[in-house]
Amino acid sequence: MSLINNRLVVKTGMSKNFRYVLIHLFFLAIVVACVAQAQAQMPTKTASQRLVLTGSSTIAPLAGEIARRFESLHPGVRIDVQTGGSSRGIHDVRKGIAAIGMVSRALKPDEADLQAFTIAQDGISIIVHAGNPVITLSRKQIADIYTGRITHWNAAGGTDARITVVNKAEGRSTLELFLDYLQLKNSEIKPHVIIGDNAQGIKTVIGNPHAIGYVSIGAAEYEARRGAPVRLLSLGGVEASVENVRQGIFPLSRPLNLVTSSEPQGLVRRFIEFARSPQVHDLVRAQYFVPVNAD
Amino acid sequence: MREMKNIHTAQVLRERAVQFLIYVAVLLISAVFIWILADLARGGIAHLSWEFLTESPRDAGRAGGIASILVSTLLILLVALLTAVPVAWTSAILLVEFVPADSPFGKTVRFSLHVLAGVPSIVFGLFGNAFFCIYLGLGFSILSGGLTLACMLLPILTSTAEAGLRAVPHAYRMSASALGMTHTAALVHLILPAAAPVLAAGLLLGIGRALAETAALLFTSGYVERMPDSLLDSGRALALHIFDLSMNVPGGDMPAYASALVLAGLLLCINITAMKFAHGLQRRKIMT
Repeated sequence: MSLINNRLVVKTGMSKNFRYVLIHLFFLAIVVACVAQAQAQMPTKTASQRLVLTGSSTIAPLAGEIARRFESLHPGVRIDVQTGGSSRGIHDVRKGIAAIGMVSRALKPDEADLQAFTIAQDGISIIVHAGNPVITLSRKQIADIYTGRITHWNAAGGTDARITVVNKAEGRSTLELFLDYLQLKNSEIKPHVIIGDNAQGIKTVIGNPHAIGYVSIGAAEYEARRGAPVRLLSLGGVEASVENVRQGIFPLSRPLNLVTSSEPQGLVRRFIEFARSPQVHDLVRAQYFVPVNAD
Repeated sequence: MREMKNIHTAQVLRERAVQFLIYVAVLLISAVFIWILADLARGGIAHLSWEFLTESPRDAGRAGGIASILVSTLLILLVALLTAVPVAWTSAILLVEFVPADSPFGKTVRFSLHVLAGVPSIVFGLFGNAFFCIYLGLGFSILSGGLTLACMLLPILTSTAEAGLRAVPHAYRMSASALGMTHTAALVHLILPAAAPVLAAGLLLGIGRALAETAALLFTSGYVERMPDSLLDSGRALALHIFDLSMNVPGGDMPAYASALVLAGLLLCINITAMKFAHGLQRRKIMT
């Protein structure tokens, strides 16, 4: 009731209100125009081909570079690289959300429904701070450190300082590969720090002279060469280097795979073939991985 | 007499001590801000150039610039604000002006907003991925990212706007009624301008949170660093780019610093503009 009364009273203020309505209509028009434009661009996009990749954050930067080169060679093709971890890549390919998954390890027996195509090799190195006198550790010593049986560096040939154990987060392929190498379960590991990506692991070890961690060899070698205080430990008598991964003698290495749910066809097939061809070897090396020779 | 003097000195001392502590607290806050800014400037200024702002990233972000990422970030922000601000502010107006403060409806809405404000951003990310990307079929796109952010911004924008509107003296509303203004006219000409600085502050908090968001956008607006053609393209946000460069790309530290510097600069600019605008609005509408 009072509302109706009020409206009658302020008839004179109508022109001002009207201006506000006009302004709002104007903004509405802009929004509608934006949406309309977005819709108008839809048909052109469905006409062009689009490919979605999801998965391993280790592969994502490399895949992004390969995708850029592929797009420049094939106008009208769009390749969207998303990230989130290997497990996510497998999940999304199975669900059909992504055409190609990126998985930075070999497929497990229960993933036999997928097809894997290796685009590069990567090694995993144990890293310590450069100020740490330890040069090498046996597999048993590493396992003991990670399960908390060795808690001080002097038990492994170092100074009398408490070891900070840096472990990778659940779902990371690096973690799975590492556990597989040590024949351990993740629940047995007693970590002090849990990290996500490689550069984060290196930063953690650089910032803590008593830390031990494990990261991708390429990334660690790059940082060590740039003078970062980090040392790569040799494993089983083999020096941790990209070269030894290339030769296949380093014990802790993994394939970087593109996976699909069925035999790849059309665009997916062309992209996978391109990613395995010598045309992208410079890109693989630029991301500190080891190129593979597709047969 | 001597005792009196002693009490007096004690009071002065206490006064001084409190004053000193207050100054220390203020200095500490400014020091943290200046430290962050100085650290960013020290690490990033050498890498910053006009090309950095106008080129697209190359070599996983180590080379090239951040032009496409800036565009994506601003588009995501625009979508989020265009969606969240009208909804949030109108619900705040409803809560303050049209619903009694202690009605069950108002309480329910307020409670759900508080719960929403406490939800971690990764949960919003997963929700956005499941709802916008997959269920609504928007895919990894700027639209999905913006809408997910809009959900995150709703509680901040609504609560701040509500507090701002409640802070407007009740006498304003009475006077407006006495002068025969309609409810709407009073709202548009008096109450909203009076609350404008608080609304702007809330908006800034929201923009800050939106620009800083990483986790929620990883699964919604995605990781693609290409220049977006439309709102349905995937586009990487600036915060996500910084995270990826510093955590996932070896040798990405310099561009990460420079990008962070750009992000901080962007936030400062937006802050200053919004504050100026809000004060201008308040003065134009009320003071004259």
